[in-house]
Amino acid sequence: MKLRLLTALLCAGAVAAGTLGVVVAASGASPTSGMVATRRLTETQYRHTIADVFGGDIVVNGRFEPERREELLLAVGAGELSISGAGFDQYYAMAKTISDQVFDEKHRARVTSCKPADPAKVDEKCVETFLRTYGLKLFRRPLTDAEIKSRVTMAVKSGTASKSHYTGMRLALTSLLISPEYLFRIETAANDGKGGKRLDGYSRASRLSYLLWDTAPDDELLRAAAAGELYTRVGLEKQAARLVASPKAEAGTRAFFTDMLQLDYFETVTKDVTVFPKFSAALMDSAKEQTLKTLIDQLVTKKGDYRDIFTSRETFINRQLASAYQAPFVSATDWTRYSIPQDQESAGIVTQVTFLSLFSHPGRSSPTKRGVALNEVFLCTPTPAPPANVDFSIVNNTNDPSLKTVRDRLLAHANDETCAACHNQSDPLGLSLEHFDSLGQHRETENGAKIDVAAELDGRRFSGATGLGRLLHDNPRAPKCLVRNVYAYGAGRAPDANDAKYLAEQTAAFAQDGYRLQSLLTRVAVSDEFYRVPPPKPVAPLKVASAQPLRQTGGQP
Amino acid sequence: MTMRFNRRSMMRGMLGGAGVAVGIPMLDCFLDNHGKAFADGAKLPTRFGTYFWGLGLTPIATGGSRWVPTKVGADYEITPELESLRKLRDKVSVFSGFRVHLDGKPNLQHWTGQAAVLSGLAPDKIGTFNAPTFDTAMVDQIGGGTRFKSLELTPFGNPKLSYSTRNGQSFNTPEATPIALYTRIFGEGFRDPNDPNWAPDPSIMLRQSVLSSVTEQRKALMADAGAADRVKLDQYFTSVRQMENQLAVESQRPGRAESCVVPTAPGELKRSGQIDVVNANNKLMANLMAMALACNQTKIFNVVHTSATSEAYLPGDTAIYHLHTHDEPVDPRLGYQQISSKLAELAFRGYGDFLTALDGIKEGDGTLLDNCLVMGFSDTGYAKIHSTDNIPMFLGGGAGGRHKGGQHVVGNGDPVSRVALTAQQLAGMKVGEFGVGGMKTAKTITEVVKV
Repeated sequence: MKLRLLTALLCAGAVAAGTLGVVVAASGASPTSGMVATRRLTETQYRHTIADVFGGDIVVNGRFEPERREELLLAVGAGELSISGAGFDQYYAMAKTISDQVFDEKHRARVTSCKPADPAKVDEKCVETFLRTYGLKLFRRPLTDAEIKSRVTMAVKSGTASKSHYTGMRLALTSLLISPEYLFRIETAANDGKGGKRLDGYSRASRLSYLLWDTAPDDELLRAAAAGELYTRVGLEKQAARLVASPKAEAGTRAFFTDMLQLDYFETVTKDVTVFPKFSAALMDSAKEQTLKTLIDQLVTKKGDYRDIFTSRETFINRQLASAYQAPFVSATDWTRYSIPQDQESAGIVTQVTFLSLFSHPGRSSPTKRGVALNEVFLCTPTPAPPANVDFSIVNNTNDPSLKTVRDRLLAHANDETCAACHNQSDPLGLSLEHFDSLGQHRETENGAKIDVAAELDGRRFSGATGLGRLLHDNPRAPKCLVRNVYAYGAGRAPDANDAKYLAEQTAAFAQDGYRLQSLLTRVAVSDEFYRVPPPKPVAPLKVASAQPLRQTGGQP
Repeated sequence: MTMRFNRRSMMRGMLGGAGVAVGIPMLDCFLDNHGKAFADGAKLPTRFGTYFWGLGLTPIATGGSRWVPTKVGADYEITPELESLRKLRDKVSVFSGFRVHLDGKPNLQHWTGQAAVLSGLAPDKIGTFNAPTFDTAMVDQIGGGTRFKSLELTPFGNPKLSYSTRNGQSFNTPEATPIALYTRIFGEGFRDPNDPNWAPDPSIMLRQSVLSSVTEQRKALMADAGAADRVKLDQYFTSVRQMENQLAVESQRPGRAESCVVPTAPGELKRSGQIDVVNANNKLMANLMAMALACNQTKIFNVVHTSATSEAYLPGDTAIYHLHTHDEPVDPRLGYQQISSKLAELAFRGYGDFLTALDGIKEGDGTLLDNCLVMGFSDTGYAKIHSTDNIPMFLGGGAGGRHKGGQHVVGNGDPVSRVALTAQQLAGMKVGEFGVGGMKTAKTITEVVKV
């Protein structure tokens, strides 16, 4: 029975670790360790890294482990994920096909200048040079001698057994690509010389490049890290300015908005084609591209005011989207600029097919889903799940002659105390979008009845999508939410109470210079706070945002 | 008492918040005597699977049920929603009246149910479980000797639908289409166990050496990690270890698998939430999984038919199943939600079809299903109000002669962990307890154990 007692003790410890673990993980390391966080590379980070290090023609073909959204962002969830057995199979297979391509006859000269005298013998020096050079790029820090040595030994032994120098090289690369040091972004801290800890230079380089480029640091950034330049404001400013001005910044901004706008749901969205014959994978791909193109154009190319994404009528369409928008499409190129006519309702980014179709049911629109998503995505205000034993019978009583439409039934929530607190925040927003169906197509009527899109939120009356766009444009929570998301995305953790002052300052600065995204990114990237190593003790989260994942809540009317 | 308690399982217990099941395997005396055998005397393995579908089955508001048989014990009658079990009844046991004990935790809608059944306690938050799911413990104890430790799949097409986890955080990625499942099992790396010219693949040794170059760094890395990072890294190294074991198996000549017939690649059905498409994909995947078992590619599998907030829908219907369960009024004449009940019957058909596929393959002197145990279960007892009482649960298959099928057992509010514990024991696990807190149980449901 000793064992049983031991197990009980272990379990008690386990529960403590299990419940606190997440918070501790998000906020710091054990006092003795240098490691402060591990974050699994996202699919796009992996792909961008391989393309940058080995060339865009190296095909990455495989299935990535699903990501998980925590505290509104996948970037935060990445800090809680590991790699399952099934997932490791896939990462191994990808590593092998990448290695095969990198060392095929066409590509090998890119990564190695060695010409082994005897191709049946592994040239040890070549392997070592390759590992030092490319290990640095893939691990985003120099490899230790032990890390090099174990791989050189393995490559020489196995390559010799296979009588092939390049087999040895391939195995060395495969070994890098399946390593936890590549698959996870491992952040480490060093002493700051004042008795505290600070994120070390290479971890800073990774934060910068993954925030601004969605890829691994380039040679110049790694050099700056090695030279200690990323500990100084001047050094950070120089690198951040270089990164923001680079063409790679577009991929970084796309990755950020893909996460914030929850565009990953496109992977699983389905519509009932008997109700929506225009639905297709091509239309969904086009919708996603339209949203990202629009954001890049307004926020990066034109350096516009962030708030205008809710009111701007400028966008891009292709042939598929033209059909959904009932717009003429006359263009020699795949994509063309398009202005939503003034007499049509529009709330900018919100009335694109993307938002309207992602936050709907397969067969019908959902004012609640849309309202909940608007609050969550653009205002960082998640809605708690309804009580488990909620009685839907009042609002669902279709025999009640006073509750004919979705609108009537939804508004009946307002009379029920339990429901009102949340539904009063979500439903008016969603109802104002009811002129758009589950696929984002415009409509004035539903089942022959005229749709009423008047709404009121916090005492302010507005009507339809255009009114909603203005409401969002003028809502101070929208820019505040963006600032919070940029920080959480880059730092890989939800802000805690200690970050409140910093975020308020950043938000004020954002307003000061006219809500320019790139200036915001730069300010965050050069600030000390961005590289702060949180204390190991758990801190109360600023706002816990673990609302029910939106796509799980099909019960919302 | 023989119990393995190695560093790894201890780590998992400590760090993953595991409700490690321990105790004297009291059923051992009779559980091990029923294994069936091939003609050549080699013992046929018992395989185990979990099969989840979302939104439960339907109670009748005025009393009674669309699924719970009135007859308790043997020869239960086939109720409307259990129609798909008609031909299999004597191989399937029905468990009604079992519930989740929340132990003061919130009832997280469409999440608490499956978490509690699989991990033995109600979770703290949506998206994670507080303990590993018991299928992963089975992998470690009885899953050896096959190419895959376990296989996960979903006919719904959504690659996030999996509830199998070793640390409560990372879930095993499922194959989400028939072709993906086929490729995983019978694509590159598959070796026909009955191939007379079988020889080990020379690339196996190369892979083994690559893996060892990574595991050499394990110690240094783990020493540097804080507690939470260690959990993640431990999971990573467990996955590496799993591949090492897999390679060790692949380098040995496998025993003959007399029922193994390598299937041809299935066609691709369009991904859709339409319930008939989901069920068609389910059948294709059931046939592939059956062959994976018959060909000794794995012993453990986990299926998620539809998510707990099922987005399945009837052809041409603008509302999804989940929406119906909340929106559809209870028909005052019938006492239940008509459309929801129809969808419940269709969703549960996935389980019946899966068992039918396993039963269609001859193995030894019976069928493959006779050597399997598949636990069917859902997240709610009444989806309309997210009730976690009376969660429908089923055990299908003979478990190598250990399961006394065809029984209806009434739980009277006992924890669902009793069914999970019994499932593990029938499948051959040496385990005496399962669950944490109010869910902890050592009580086997002896009504379904063959003595």
